[in-house]
Amino acid sequence: MPVASLGRRAAAYWFVDGLPDIVLGMTLLLFSALGLWWCLQMRRPARRTQIDFLFIVAGVLFFYWKGRQAVDFLKSRLTYLRTGYVQPPEDVWASASSAGLISLSLRPGPPPDENVTQFNKRTVYVLQTWCFLFLGQYPWRHWYALLAMPVLAAVLYALNRKSEHPYRWWSTLILALSGPTLVWLGVAPILQPLLMPLLAAVWLIVQGACTLAGYLRANPYPRAPEGVRA
Amino acid sequence: MTLRMQEISRLDRVIHEPARLAIMLILGGVGEADFLYLQREGGFTQGNLSGHLAKLEEAGYVEIEKKFKGKVPLTVCSLTGKGKFAFTDYSNRMLGLLQSSGSSGASRPSTAATEPQPR
Repeated sequence: MPVASLGRRAAAYWFVDGLPDIVLGMTLLLFSALGLWWCLQMRRPARRTQIDFLFIVAGVLFFYWKGRQAVDFLKSRLTYLRTGYVQPPEDVWASASSAGLISLSLRPGPPPDENVTQFNKRTVYVLQTWCFLFLGQYPWRHWYALLAMPVLAAVLYALNRKSEHPYRWWSTLILALSGPTLVWLGVAPILQPLLMPLLAAVWLIVQGACTLAGYLRANPYPRAPEGVRA
Repeated sequence: MTLRMQEISRLDRVIHEPARLAIMLILGGVGEADFLYLQREGGFTQGNLSGHLAKLEEAGYVEIEKKFKGKVPLTVCSLTGKGKFAFTDYSNRMLGLLQSSGSSGASRPSTAATEPQPR
C-alpha cells in the first residue's frame, strides 16, 4: 500500500464501477434524443443544429445538477455493499485544506488535479465544448463529420490518459471512427450533427457498461455486507 | 538519553503501530470511509481492523458511526479533530527525525513502513 497512492486510489475508486460514465451517457442520450426528435419536427433546417446544441447544454447542466446524486444512488445499491464506501476525494480536499492538513508531510490526500471534480472538466466539459465548436456550425460541411469525432476521441484520450479515469486507446479509436463511418454509410449531412452526440452518448454508456460488468464479475454480491465490530 | 532518543520516545504509540498508521493514512486521505473499504484497502481481517479501530476510537482519534447511503447501512469511520492534530504532530515529528538522521533515504519516508503486518 504505497503512501502516495492512497489518495489516487480513492479518486480512482469513484470510477471503478463505470457508473459516472453510464449516468453521463444516459443523460446525454436522453437529451440528444429529445433534441433530435425536436429538430426533426422543425421546418427551418438552419436552426436545427443550434437547437440540438441547446438540448445538449441542458443535458450537461442537468448532469451537473443531478448527476452526482444519481451516481451516488446507484453506487449505494451496487458498489458500497460489494467493495465499501469512501468519500470522494474532491470534498476531502477542501475540508482537509481548511483543517490545516496542508502541512502534513505524510499527507496522503490526492493532489488537487487528481480528484473526482476532474471528471467534469476532462470529460463533461470537453463534450460540451466539442458540441459548441462542431455542432453549432451552419451550414454543415461534410468534412466536419470526418473531423469532429476523431477530435473528440483524441482530446478525451489525451486529457484522461494520466488521470484516475483513463480511456483505453482502442475504445477511443472506435469513437474516432464512428464519425467517418457516418459519412461512409451515406447518412444525410443534415442528420450527421444530430447523430454525433447520440454516438458519443452510446459510446460512454458502452464504456461504462463494460467497466460495470467487469466490476460485478470481480466482486460478487457479498453474503455479509457489513463488517462486524469486536 | 540523547535528545534524539527523547524525540523518538515522544512519538505517539497509538499511531506508530503500522496497522493503525495505515488506517490513519487512509482516513487522512479520504475523509471518511466505511469498514469494508478500510478492510480491503489495508488488507485487514475483520477482527484485526475492529481491534485497531477500537484503539483509535478509544484514543479519540477516530469517530465511528452508522450511516445510511440510500437504504444501505454503513459503518463509517473518519478522523476526529484530535485525530487530525495527532496525525499532523506525529508526521511532523517523524519527518523531523528522518531529516535529522542525515541518511540518504531520509528525505522521503519509506512506503514500506506503512505496510500493515498480517496477523
